[in-house]
Parts: sequence; structure tokens; C-alpha cells
Amino acid sequence: MEHGTKNLDGSFLKMNCEDCQQNISPHLDGELDEVSSASIRTHLSVCAPCAKLYEDFAVILESCRDGAPSEIIPPNSQALWCRINNLIESELSQEPPIEAPRKTWLSRGWNLTFSQATAGVLAIAFISSLLTVVGIRNYFEPSGEDFTSRSDTSQTTLEKILSKVGLVETPQQARERRMKEQQAAIDYWTKRVSERRNQWDAKMRDAFDRNLNLIDESVSEYTTILQQNPDDDLTGEMLDTVLNDKMDLLREFSDL
Amino acid sequence: MARILKNRLLFLTGRTTIQLLLLSVVFLFAPAEGAAQRRFSKTYPASPVVRLTLTNRSGTVTVEGWDRPEVQVQAYLEAPAANVNPLMVDGILFINIVKDNYGRADIGNVNFNIRVPADAAVDIETKIGNLNVSSVRGALVRAKISSDGDITLTNINAQRVMAENGIGNIFFDGDIRANGIYRFTSMRGDINLRVPFNSSFKLIATAPSTRSINLGSFANGNMRFVGDGRRVTGQVGDGSSTLTVTNQRGSIAFIRR
Repeated sequence: MEHGTKNLDGSFLKMNCEDCQQNISPHLDGELDEVSSASIRTHLSVCAPCAKLYEDFAVILESCRDGAPSEIIPPNSQALWCRINNLIESELSQEPPIEAPRKTWLSRGWNLTFSQATAGVLAIAFISSLLTVVGIRNYFEPSGEDFTSRSDTSQTTLEKILSKVGLVETPQQARERRMKEQQAAIDYWTKRVSERRNQWDAKMRDAFDRNLNLIDESVSEYTTILQQNPDDDLTGEMLDTVLNDKMDLLREFSDL
Repeated sequence: MARILKNRLLFLTGRTTIQLLLLSVVFLFAPAEGAAQRRFSKTYPASPVVRLTLTNRSGTVTVEGWDRPEVQVQAYLEAPAANVNPLMVDGILFINIVKDNYGRADIGNVNFNIRVPADAAVDIETKIGNLNVSSVRGALVRAKISSDGDITLTNINAQRVMAENGIGNIFFDGDIRANGIYRFTSMRGDINLRVPFNSSFKLIATAPSTRSINLGSFANGNMRFVGDGRRVTGQVGDGSSTLTVTNQRGSIAFIRR
């Protein structure tokens, strides 16, 4: 996820979640410069998952600060480091010298048999064709649509040809694969919820059941529509949405 | 004379007994009343662009912007009272009732009244209960209810606004900023959006079950009904912002401000 947020001077500060999550710990330790820290703060202000991770880090750090130091601090840390260093150096000096390679890969002569050369040429041709196909496919794919929620009617001609020869998934296959993944996640969270729900009060249980039933009604309705009309893009998209909603509901109640 | 005194003594004794009984009744119920609702209150100095991240379990959360550089947290804890341990780290105020009470089954509602600097980013969520945010103009307003509850966002001027609930209504009354992102999602309820007439946005509004999408004054030639009226897509003004509204089993309505 990448978030662009306007800075005070009107410029955009962009940071993706990966960069932010890698830098959270150094940021909390005060090891980053002011610009990087500001970028992180900006990203955190608009990105809930990163803010949650940051919260977890902060809580751990806070609890470490609150608690008494449990580790034993050596009386002379400098002397200890010198000893460790000497130990490593002495071990390194005892290691047998590594034998120099007799021949490098490049220095070896190209003594290939005819069959090896043919196989190599074919492999290169196959890889370049595949890359071209993928490149063209990405170029022609309509933007702003989720491939899993598309139907045959919205496929480009190239996609239709590729799916006929089995090089890419048809929208139905993509949808089925996605639904299987979602169902696996739903099964996992359902199990977690069933372990926890006897600890909830009646109000919590009622609200959860009411919402889950409502989602299941929608899932059932959309599945029926798709069985009758597999090309209904909108219903495919809505089914995907409500299955995500179901995953979210289960996940959010599993931590109670 | 002695008889009169004896009668008077008996009368006084009887009256004292009644008074004592009344007092006991008062003392019996007074602590119960006190334990039913406890109050938490704390004020944190904060930068104008502080972020509030709140995760509640059940109860009503009300967040209001004000012109002071501080965050005032008031929580009313219904019995059995939950633990509330806010944590202010690096300009972000974290309040997580779920985490602070993990493993506890017996927790009463926690009703929050929070005041934040008007430019603050507000990110609040709850499992059950209503969420209200007003007079905030920061980078982000996010309100999420996992199950039942209404979301009311009034006098909002934020770059990113996200409101999501299960069963309940969503009401937004605020500005649509240029290049902003606005997302409103509900399973069942009414979504009402009150925005200025001169707003600019690209719209994707979907109500698959009811097909009840009322664009009001924002209906124009650029709007297109798709999927037998289940979705409306189009553009208002220059369309620099994106507005995505999805209501699985309820209505969507636009109101001109």
C-alpha cells in the first residue's frame, strides 16, 4: 500500500508500508533523521495497519522501559568485547585456507554438445515468449478492475485466446481460486471464534450472529445469481466483498 | 410522670430504628450506584496534528475537534469496569480497550467523550456501539464498527474519510477535498451523505439489493447506471477526489449542503 499525503509545503511525502514497517524500530529508537521520521509519522497518520504495528512496537518498548532490567550487565563491557573479538580472530586464524577454484564458470570452455545447445536455445526462446506474453497481457488488461471479479464478456481478445490455450486463468477460474482462498481463511477464523465465543456476553453474541447471518444471506444470494449468470461482473465483485467482510468480522471478534 | 417518660423513650427508640433502617437502605444502594459507572479522565498535551487511535469493545465513542493543543479523554465505564490505559507515543495517542482487557469476559460498556485538536487525525473503531466524530479537519477520519452501530460524521474536512459498519446508519456531513479519498461501506442501513454542491468527485455508488441510490442535486449527464441500476458511476465537477459508497442491503442518498 502506498499513501500520498500532502505535506505542509504542498509537496507529497510518499512511503509504502514495507519501508515504513522496516523503519518503525529505528524510528522508535530515535536513530532516524528528522526527514525520515516525518515521513514515517505522515504514513502512520493515514495507514491503519502500520499504525497498529507501530502501536505493538510502542507497547513492547514501553513495557521494557517500565520493567526492571532483567539482564546482567557485565562489569567491564569494553573488556568483554575485547575478549570476544580476540576469540573470533583466533578461531579465524585456525581455519584451513580455502582452496582456490580451479576454473571459473567463464574460464571454462564452451564445450557443449549439439543437444545441450539446442535445449539452451529452446529454453531462451520459451522464456522470452513467456515474458512477451505477460508483458502484452499486462498492457491490455483493463485498469481499475479486479481480475477475480471479471467475466468473459469483459475479457480482452488476447486474454480470451490465452485462456483458451491455458496460459492464463479464465475469470471463472480466478474467481473460484479466490473463493477457495477466502473459504480457507474463513474456516480458520471460524475455528478461532468458536473457541472464544462462550466467553462473550449475550449482547456480543447476538450482535455477532446477527451480522454473520446477514453476510451469509448475501453470500447465498450472490452465489445463486452467479450460478444463473456467471458473467455478472457486479455480483462477482459483491460476492468477493461480502466474503472479505465475513473474514473481517470473524477476525475482529476472534480477539475478544 | 415516669409513664410519660417511658412512652417518650419508646417513641424515640422506634424513630431511631426507622432512621437507622432508612440509612442502611441508602448505604446499601449508594455504593451500588457508584460502582455502576466509574469515570476516567485525563488530558494530554499534543501537537495540532496528533493522531488518535482508539479501539473500543462496546459503547459509544464521541470525538470532537477543539482549538486547544491537547487531547482530553473522558471515559464512563459501566460495571464491570474495563481497564483503560491510554498510551501517548511520538504524537500518537493509543487507546485499546480490547488489548487492555484481553481474556476478560465481563466488561461493561465504555463510553468515550474525547476532544482533540481540530487538525488531528482520528482513527476509531469498536465492535459494537455508535461512533460520532465532529468538527475535525485533519488528514484522516476513519470510523469502523465491526457489527451493530451508527456512524455520524459532522462538520468534517479531511483528506481521507472512511466509515464502515455492519448493521446501522452512516451519516456524513462535510467537505470533499481535492484529491481526497472517501469511502463509506455498510451491510444494512441508510447511508446519507451531505456535501457542498460545488464538490468535485468521481463516484462509484453500489446498492445491489435495494437499487436505492438517490443522487439528489448531484445527478447529471455524466452519471451512468450500470448492472440494472445496482450501481451508479460518474463524475461531478473535475472529479479529482474519489467517492466510493457501498451498501449491501440499504439505501444511499446524497443531500446538497
